Formats: sequence, structure tokens, C-alpha cells
Amino acid sequence: MSKKIYEVVDKLPKGGLTVRALKSLDTFVPGQWDNLVGFDNTIKVVTGETDEAMIQAIGERAVALFNDKKQGYQTALWLYETVDSASGLLGTAALANRIGQDTFLGFLKNISPKPEQAQTIDLAVKLVTEVVAFCKISGIPGDSLGDFLTALGDYSSESLIRMAALVSFDGIIPLGAEFSTKALNAIKGMSPSDIESNQTFKGIKNEIPGNDSKSKLSFMTESFESTKGWMDKFVADKGITQSGLLDNLGGFIEGSRGKLDYLGAFLDMSVKYYEHTGTQTLARRLIERAVAEI
Amino acid sequence: MTLTRWLKRLAPLVLCFALLVTSCSSTPSRYDQVQKDTTGFRSPAAVDKKAEKGGTFNQFFPASQGDYQVIPYQEKKGFAEYKLKRGDTTVAMLTINDTISLPVAAEKYVDATELVSGYPSVGQGTTATGLLVNGRYQVKVLSRDSSFGKAERVDWLQKFDLQGLSQLQGKAVVRPKQPAATASPQSDAPVATDTVPAKPRFKLPKVQVPAPEPTLQPAG
Repeated sequence: MSKKIYEVVDKLPKGGLTVRALKSLDTFVPGQWDNLVGFDNTIKVVTGETDEAMIQAIGERAVALFNDKKQGYQTALWLYETVDSASGLLGTAALANRIGQDTFLGFLKNISPKPEQAQTIDLAVKLVTEVVAFCKISGIPGDSLGDFLTALGDYSSESLIRMAALVSFDGIIPLGAEFSTKALNAIKGMSPSDIESNQTFKGIKNEIPGNDSKSKLSFMTESFESTKGWMDKFVADKGITQSGLLDNLGGFIEGSRGKLDYLGAFLDMSVKYYEHTGTQTLARRLIERAVAEI
Repeated sequence: MTLTRWLKRLAPLVLCFALLVTSCSSTPSRYDQVQKDTTGFRSPAAVDKKAEKGGTFNQFFPASQGDYQVIPYQEKKGFAEYKLKRGDTTVAMLTINDTISLPVAAEKYVDATELVSGYPSVGQGTTATGLLVNGRYQVKVLSRDSSFGKAERVDWLQKFDLQGLSQLQGKAVVRPKQPAATASPQSDAPVATDTVPAKPRFKLPKVQVPAPEPTLQPAG
């Protein structure tokens, strides 16, 4: 049964680890992200409408558009959800049991960091997911990197914070300041068999352009290469550093300093920022379209 | 005593049962009906097969000008949208859509009393002004900033290449009545007489041809 988009947006959390982790990025991209939750609330904030009949009409059109599979919104939502859940090492249930019982250090005894190669593939797969999902939502052809890069230059609010989280939580924290160069070199040296065993890649591989793993890897490499310049400039312009990130995260993840590899793994498991902000991006675009079409 | 003890034991069970029952049924929503109507076998598509490609509309959007930047935002079948920015602020969204997928959107123009560039125009809600070309293609400007009001929306509606859009060949979805008057603040917009695009090589939809007999104008 298909998901009800209004319930998905209504159930977006107002707090918790994901929201706190994303808020910790506010220092670098001040005022960009407001955690917009609730379907009707999103309609009101995005369109500025207050008329109840209009809100109802916008909502109904948005629901109809989402439910039409050909429109690509369901696949985009699935991509944002899947890339997050596939990248986690442990089930969220296991994690939930431990939160609140242990300090971060106590918790760390039970997990092991990801090897650098797995972390690199995660970063590349998440980036390519953004390309594909964003293109599905906005109607840009999925393999059109040039159009995606133009759109990326205009990213704002939840889309921009998602990219900030990508470079921070999946780039700088686990791989260091030179993460983009390091990752690009690593991907270039990989063979299709290297990515085929990666959980994150396995989760979404059917949606990555390309007929086989070889061509999918080549699209991933091309995506990374094209966006590397944007990522490097973004990190430099916003002054994002490992120590800056740790200072902010340290506020709520006790004892995380000095345990960078573990922190990366911890964030991977517990922070579902792609799903959270991806749903918000999807809801915004869907509503923007609905209000225009009615 | 025994009864109290039994009640005490039963209370958690009753509570658990109540929670289970309530958690199984989700809260009713104002969107449940449309959800039901648009899912499942044989549910109607949200976008009509005959709808124009979104890409077709791109050429009719205004270009960036002065302090304003016009930036591509979305392009789906039957729909295209651009963002209108002044500096870093998004002041409005500019859109064109094919109402063949949602005829009710076109129907609101049937009794329109205002004209913009000769096309029937209506205000919708508190932030949108639209017009309808050829009884089918809806052009809208939607405010996103308080500095951008109705006058600005009407001004930007006129910057679209409406004449170019009117040359698309799609059949009309509705036939708007000849508007009786133009009301302010749109009264300075060109009136109905200029609606017919001059290029003869295209067959014009009947709805756009002005009535041959003079229409009644309000006195004064």
C-alpha cells in the first residue's frame, strides 16, 4: 500500500538526534533551516496561504500528485529513506535501547567504525542519491548533471542543510578536511566488485543511472567529480572544520571528541538526515506545484 | 478485597488493550477521501496523457531583468515553474500549467470579470493571481514576500510571452465568457481587443475570437 504523504510529513519529528544534529550545523549556515513539519503547516509556510479552503485544495492536489507513481515523488521518497536506513550499521531498535542508558563512550564499546572504503562509498552513494532524487522531484532528467549543478547553486533551506550534513557528517567527520579529494581518488581506484558488496549501494542501485555496476560506478564517479568543486567551495565559504563540527556535536553527544571514526559510525546509525530533509524538500516542491496547478 | 485486587491486575491489561486499539486506527484526516480516490487499482492519473510537456512552456517565461532574476525551479509534464528572486529574496513563483489534467482549475476563469493582457484573470486565495490562455493554459504569479503584492503579480503576468503561449494547439478545456468589464488595478492592462495573436499560420481556438457584435459595457 502506498504511503500517505500527509501522514509522512505529519510524523516528521520535531526533536531528537536527527533534528539536533542538523541544528548543530546552524553555525555554518545560519538561519537556513527551520525544521518545517506537519502537512498543513508546510502548506501554510510554503505558500503563505491562510484560507482554509485553499489549504484543503492545495493539500488534495498534492496528495493526488504524490499518489500518481509516474510523477516520481514516491521513488524520490523511497530513495531518501532507503539510503539512510541502508547506511546504518545496526538496527534503530537496538540503538534506541541503548540511548539514555549509556554515555556515548559506553555505547561505543558496542559498535565498530566503518572501514574508510565503506565510508567513501557511502558518501558517493548518498551524493548520487541526491542527484537522482532531486531530479525526480524537480523534473530534471536524472542523468543531467549540468542541470543538477545549476540547481545546486540555488539550493536553500532543507536542501542546503542536507548538503551541509552530507559534507560534514559523511565527509569531514569520518574522512577529514581533505575528504573530497580523498574520496574521489578512492572511487576512481575502485572496481565494480568493490561497490557491489556495499550495503548502501545495494539499497538503491536500481535507481542509479547505468545498466550494470560498472556504468553505475562511472556515473557515481562523474557525479562526485562534478560536485567536488561545489563541495570544496561550500566548506571553505562556510568555514566548516572538523573541530568546529565537534564543538557543536559535543553539546549533545557526550565524549565524542577524539573518537572521530566512532562518531562517524554513530551518526550514520542514529541520524536520518537524508530521510528527514528529503521528505521536507519533497513536500515543499509538491506543494509549490499543487498551489500553482489548482 | 478480592475484587479490588482483580481490578488492580486487570487495569494494565485494559490500558494495553485500549492503547492497542487506538494505535491501530490512525487519526482521521481531511485528506483521507482524496487518498482513497487516488490510490488503488484504476485510480485516475494526476496528470493527463495529453498534457503538454513542461519543457514546452519554458520559452514563454519572462527573462531576468533589472534587479530580478528568473531561475528555473521545476519542470514536470504539464507544468513548469520559475523562481523570481530580487537579491537573495524569493519574491514570487512564476508558473504555467496545462489545465487538461485538472479542468476545475480552468473553470474558475469562466466567470472572470477581470482581464490581464486581454485574458481572463482571477485572484486566488491571498497570494496568487492567474490568467487563462486559450481556455486551457494557466499562467500564475504567486507572491512569496510581503513586498510583492497584487499589482506586482499583475505586472509580472504581463511579462510572460502570452501571445506565444496562445499559439499552442491544445483544445480548450473551458470557454470563458466574454468579460464585461475590467476592474482596477488591472484596468490599465491592454483590453480584450488585443487578445487575438496576429500570426495567421496557426488555427486559433474559437474561444479567443472576440464576439462580432458589440458587448454591453457598464454605464459611466
